[in-house]
Amino acid sequence: MTADTPRRRTRPNVVGHASLLALSLLSVFPIYWMIATSVRPTNELLTSSLVPSALTWEHYRYMWDAIPMDSMLVTTFLMSVAITVTQLLTSLLAAYAFARWSFPGGRILFGLFALTWLVPFQVTMIPNYVLLSNLRWLDTLWALVVPQTASAFAILLLYQSVNAFPRDLLDAARIDGANSWSTLWRVLVPNLRAPLATLAILLFISSWNEYFWPLLVTRDIERSVVQIGLQMFLTSEGNLWGPMMAGATVASLPILVLYIVLQRQVVESFMKSGLR
Amino acid sequence: MPALITIGVWIYKPLVQTFQLATYEWNLLPFSPKVFVGLTNFERLLTLPDMQQAAWNTVLYIVGTLPFSVFLPLAIALVTEDLHPRWRATYRALIFIPMIVPPVVASVVWRWLLHPTNGVVNLTLQNGFGLDPISFFRDTNIAIGSIIFISGWKLIGFATLIFAAAIANVDRTLLEAAQLDGANRWQSITRITLPLISPTLLFMALLSVLLSAQWSFAYINVLTQGGPRGATTNLYYLLWQYGFGTFAVGWSSAAGVILFVAFGLLAWVGLALIRRYSFYDA
Repeated sequence: MTADTPRRRTRPNVVGHASLLALSLLSVFPIYWMIATSVRPTNELLTSSLVPSALTWEHYRYMWDAIPMDSMLVTTFLMSVAITVTQLLTSLLAAYAFARWSFPGGRILFGLFALTWLVPFQVTMIPNYVLLSNLRWLDTLWALVVPQTASAFAILLLYQSVNAFPRDLLDAARIDGANSWSTLWRVLVPNLRAPLATLAILLFISSWNEYFWPLLVTRDIERSVVQIGLQMFLTSEGNLWGPMMAGATVASLPILVLYIVLQRQVVESFMKSGLR
Repeated sequence: MPALITIGVWIYKPLVQTFQLATYEWNLLPFSPKVFVGLTNFERLLTLPDMQQAAWNTVLYIVGTLPFSVFLPLAIALVTEDLHPRWRATYRALIFIPMIVPPVVASVVWRWLLHPTNGVVNLTLQNGFGLDPISFFRDTNIAIGSIIFISGWKLIGFATLIFAAAIANVDRTLLEAAQLDGANRWQSITRITLPLISPTLLFMALLSVLLSAQWSFAYINVLTQGGPRGATTNLYYLLWQYGFGTFAVGWSSAAGVILFVAFGLLAWVGLALIRRYSFYDA
């Protein structure tokens, strides 16, 4: 809404505040509790006091000794970056092609892309698994990344932005003698920074949080991602709540930091993706 | 010439990608590797008691998720429609957090919060209200509710934001005109706001129906593994168990095909409904 639109009324909205406050508490409390538990002294773990009486790193130390956290963090980070970068590239190229040219079968191709959205992961998991195992890629970064280098979601999101881009500018670039490739990089990409950043944020978060696929293709905890490590830790030492919460904190820390730094962009990214 | 090459690359590249994606879908029918058994897998599946329980649970997941993905968020978005922008931004930032938390972390943290004897929820129930501790993930009647609640917890803030944004896009002049014509608040909500945000509402509902059974996967696998006694399993989880628990690849694939067809139909019907009943602000 523009600033000059008069607000309809300004009376304090008590119901609104109350319900949002309740919802905010529900949203934040578990995260607070996770962090609070992770730094509490062990003898205080089983109380329900809201604030820890003293801070300790013992749970973090224990957790770090119990699971190969360093290597898992590195793997997760590499996987997330690789997926983000490759998906940005493939979806940019595909979106550009679909939006720029109409070629024979283009509509059918586009439809085929869009339809993959409807194929649940669980339905394709076995053939993918068999393929990866034939390639001897299980337990490698390749297995984590390669099957996810393109997605209908990314293509559709970028397609809208590319399609909304003024055609005249693209034509002008061509008249000036730029070929399609340099038009893409010199004209389109600099102007699509916002949607590209949106997509990058979404992709990074979702690949960091990825659980199903790594669960399938990695057997060796040393080569797996933090989410899997956390789950294995839960199965093996499920009642050590301090170290457990320390692990959970570490597994979500990068995302939470990203969120705190880029809060508005993150929220807007997700909203755009949902609003289409 | 450059144009020709580029077009070649451009047509070629999506083609290859589509081809890959298409092979993924085609490949979903490797019936048990060596032996051809025809349709027996399907017949067996449909009569299996596991399958029936899982199918029923899938329905429960779908229905149970809707309040978190549509009804509650809609109500909250409506009552918070005209908050001060500064407040709105603060709340937004807070209620959005669950959405970005990794599912495994969410499971682990809720498992701790809901722990039967030491979790803070049960401690509060016991000390504050004198209630018996509840075994949230072991009780056959409650476990599925707990799982739905956790997936709902992750969704509710997100859905609220989406609806709030849609409501903010409703043309104010329409609402003002309605007020001048003597419409009360309820009338302007049901007659103007809701029809205008109906595309968003229906889209969210469809998304929720199609994906809620998939969203719950991580929580099921981390927290209950489908138990107690199959009480929290659903079709996707069963698929996973057949495929990688018991290596019944044929069954798993057959179940996959059934699921794909069923949800495909559901999506098709849903999209048709959206097209028919959406009301666009032209």
